[in-house]
Amino acid sequence: MSEQQIEQKGYAHPEALVSTDWVAEHLDDLENVRIVESDEDVLLYEVGHIPNAVKIDWVEDLNDPVVRDYLDPEKFARLMGEKGIGPDTKVVFYGDKNNWWATYALWVFRLFGHDNVAIMDGGRVKWEAEGREMTQEVPSVPAAEYPTPTRDDSAIRAFKADVEKHVQANGQMIDVRSPGEYSGELLHMPDYPQEGALRGGHIPGAANVPWARAAREDGTFKSADELKEIYEGEAGLSGGDEVVAYCRIGERSSHTWFVLEYLLGYDNVRNYDGSWTEWGNSVGAPIER
Amino acid sequence: MDRKERVAFLVEHFGNPRHKGVLEGADVRMPGGSPECGGSVVVYLKGDGNGGIDGLTWTGQGDTISMGATSVIVERVRDEGLGLQEVLDLDYERFMDSIGRDVIGSRTRNATLGLSTIKSAARKYLKDHAKDAANRAGAGTA
Repeated sequence: MSEQQIEQKGYAHPEALVSTDWVAEHLDDLENVRIVESDEDVLLYEVGHIPNAVKIDWVEDLNDPVVRDYLDPEKFARLMGEKGIGPDTKVVFYGDKNNWWATYALWVFRLFGHDNVAIMDGGRVKWEAEGREMTQEVPSVPAAEYPTPTRDDSAIRAFKADVEKHVQANGQMIDVRSPGEYSGELLHMPDYPQEGALRGGHIPGAANVPWARAAREDGTFKSADELKEIYEGEAGLSGGDEVVAYCRIGERSSHTWFVLEYLLGYDNVRNYDGSWTEWGNSVGAPIER
Repeated sequence: MDRKERVAFLVEHFGNPRHKGVLEGADVRMPGGSPECGGSVVVYLKGDGNGGIDGLTWTGQGDTISMGATSVIVERVRDEGLGLQEVLDLDYERFMDSIGRDVIGSRTRNATLGLSTIKSAARKYLKDHAKDAANRAGAGTA
């Protein structure tokens, strides 16, 4: 797959995607490019990864171990140093499940102002399907100095109070969970009530578009026209409006955030990472079924 | 085993899952987990009516840790011939130690998905069986 094929898909920011060809050509550019694998299946990197790719684990690396929040700026700077990422390094993410976790990692990087980021279109599945080289060797990357950044949560992250205001203003909202979760039929995962919510349903006014609808069978993103048909034709979103995306803990919705922000070029999209585990447990929060 | 070998052990179970498949005539069919996150399994259990387990299989889909660890624990319960109460007595922490903390990290729920679902199946079997016994006793005195 080449850059030309990405261009042809008509995205607002085609530079936010790179092809598997591009990655194959830039694998050894350790000075300027870092390929980062971020998966749901956390052992996949150990099974085999793109040569010279480093691993970032969304749980262990990107979350605070105690408070429900992401890592702080000092830890982010330290993590970047360990992974050989400088403030100007181009970071290309890829992963399993249609790049679900890759987009989540990218979103967290953006909170810290690391804007030189891209996703490898098609993710791990595409790289494997093309029979490209994989290795178990962990690369030695040049150590990098990363000045402690400022984390800015205001532009792309929504907190519960923001969402409440958004609901009152009849703002556009998109629930990217499965239809069963959206309707309230599925309250939580059986046996895992601690990951669920006391009440089921969705935030009033939210449209439902399961996140994976943005991807094709081969793991690549659908074209801009196809995406517009789904998000604008079916869900009624529009690029000029403020949009809030949410799911259960904010991971699936970071994928939809990426689609709206980069591929369709929406001006103001925020990911509500508190999502249903916060809303559905909140006393008095309005719920629609 | 070092970490690499422990990873390889789980990966091997993931690639060649033991006793995976629907169990015809199972007394209990117990779902667990979520296909959207980590993984989901269905455990099939057949009891022997006397506290023992006659059949135990599973189906599911998910990540290497959840699927690998489910295969490991199903194989272990069968190979060791554990009964229902012995399954309920299995300790989550010790099971995770045996898989390897350095492999599981914070994915403790994924690692115990299979074990917790087997326990749920065992509890359901015991509950259903107790009900049957009560019904039979009730019928006898009527």
